Amino acid sequence: MKTFEERWTAWLDGQLSGRELAEFEASLPDKASAEAEKAEAKKLGALLKREIGAQTLMNEEFFSHQLRERIARETAEPSRESGGRRIEVPTWWTIRRLLWTGTASLAVFLVFTIFVVRDKNPAEQSQYLTQILNARVDPVVSPNATISMFEAKEDRVTVLWTEGLQSLPSDYAAK
Amino acid sequence: MGRSLALVAAFTALIMSASPELQGAETVWSGLVIAENVAQPQPIPSELTRIEGSLKKLFGYNQFQVIGQSRKLLTTGQEDWLATSKFFGLHVDARGESEAGYVLNLKLYKEKELLLETDAKLSKRSPLVIKGPQVGSGQLLLILVVQ
Repeated sequence: MKTFEERWTAWLDGQLSGRELAEFEASLPDKASAEAEKAEAKKLGALLKREIGAQTLMNEEFFSHQLRERIARETAEPSRESGGRRIEVPTWWTIRRLLWTGTASLAVFLVFTIFVVRDKNPAEQSQYLTQILNARVDPVVSPNATISMFEAKEDRVTVLWTEGLQSLPSDYAAK
Repeated sequence: MGRSLALVAAFTALIMSASPELQGAETVWSGLVIAENVAQPQPIPSELTRIEGSLKKLFGYNQFQVIGQSRKLLTTGQEDWLATSKFFGLHVDARGESEAGYVLNLKLYKEKELLLETDAKLSKRSPLVIKGPQVGSGQLLLILVVQ
C-alpha cells in the first residue's frame, strides 16, 4: 500500500492513471490548490533541467553555442545597421594587406639583392683571374733576371714572365 | 596554410640567392712544358687545349711538349706535390683555399738548384703560365690549371 506522499509525488509527475488517479484526486482536500502546486512543480522541474543542463555543457557544445551566438550576432548587426546591406565576412588577406605585404616583400628582396651583388662583385673579380702575389729568382744563379706579370684576357691566362734566366742546353728538355 | 607556404618559398628563394657557391674537391694539373718551333709539330696535349691560342700568341712557338706533369686532387687545399722531369722539378705547396681559388707556393728547381720561387692565388677559371729558362732552342714553361 502506497503512502500519501508516494501517491502525491506520482501524481505530480503525471504517473497516476485510471482508478488510482481518480481515487487520489478525490482524496485531495483542495484540488485547485493542488493543481496550482503541480504546475509550480513542473515549472521548477523545467528550470532545474535547464540550469543543470547548462552546467554540464561539453566543450564542443560550448564552442558550438558560442559560434551560433556569433553567427546570430553578425547576421543581426549589419541588417540592423544598414538595413539589408551586403554582409562582408572579414578575412586576413584584405586587398590593402596584400598590397602592403607585396611591397614589403619586394623591398626586402631588393635590399638583399643589392647587398649580395655588392658583396659578390669583388670576389668575382678575383675569381676571374689568377693573381701572382710575389716572385723571386736566385740572384746568384741569374743575376740579370727580371720578372714581370701580366694577364692574357683572351683565355684568362695569367703569365709570370721572366727574362735573363740562365740558359740551358737542349739536354735539359729530356723527360 | 597559404601564408605559411608563401613565407617558406620566400625564405628558400632568399637563402638560395644569398648562399655562396659551394666548394668541392678539384684537381690541379701542373706541367713542365717545353715550347719550341719544329717542322712537324706534335698536337698540343689535351690539358693545354683551352689555352693553345694564348700560348702560341704569347711565346711564338708551334709545339708544346709535356716533359713532366702531376695531377693532384685537392681536398683540404693544404696539399703539396711535385711535378718532375729528368732535370727539373716543380714543387707546389697549397696553402689554403678560398672562394677565389688556391693559394700556392711554387718552386722551380733545376736538379737541386732553386731557380725561381713565386706565390700565387690560382683561380679556378684562370690558368697560370710561368716562363722559365731557355732550354736549347726552346723554352721551359710551367703551367698550372684547375680542372
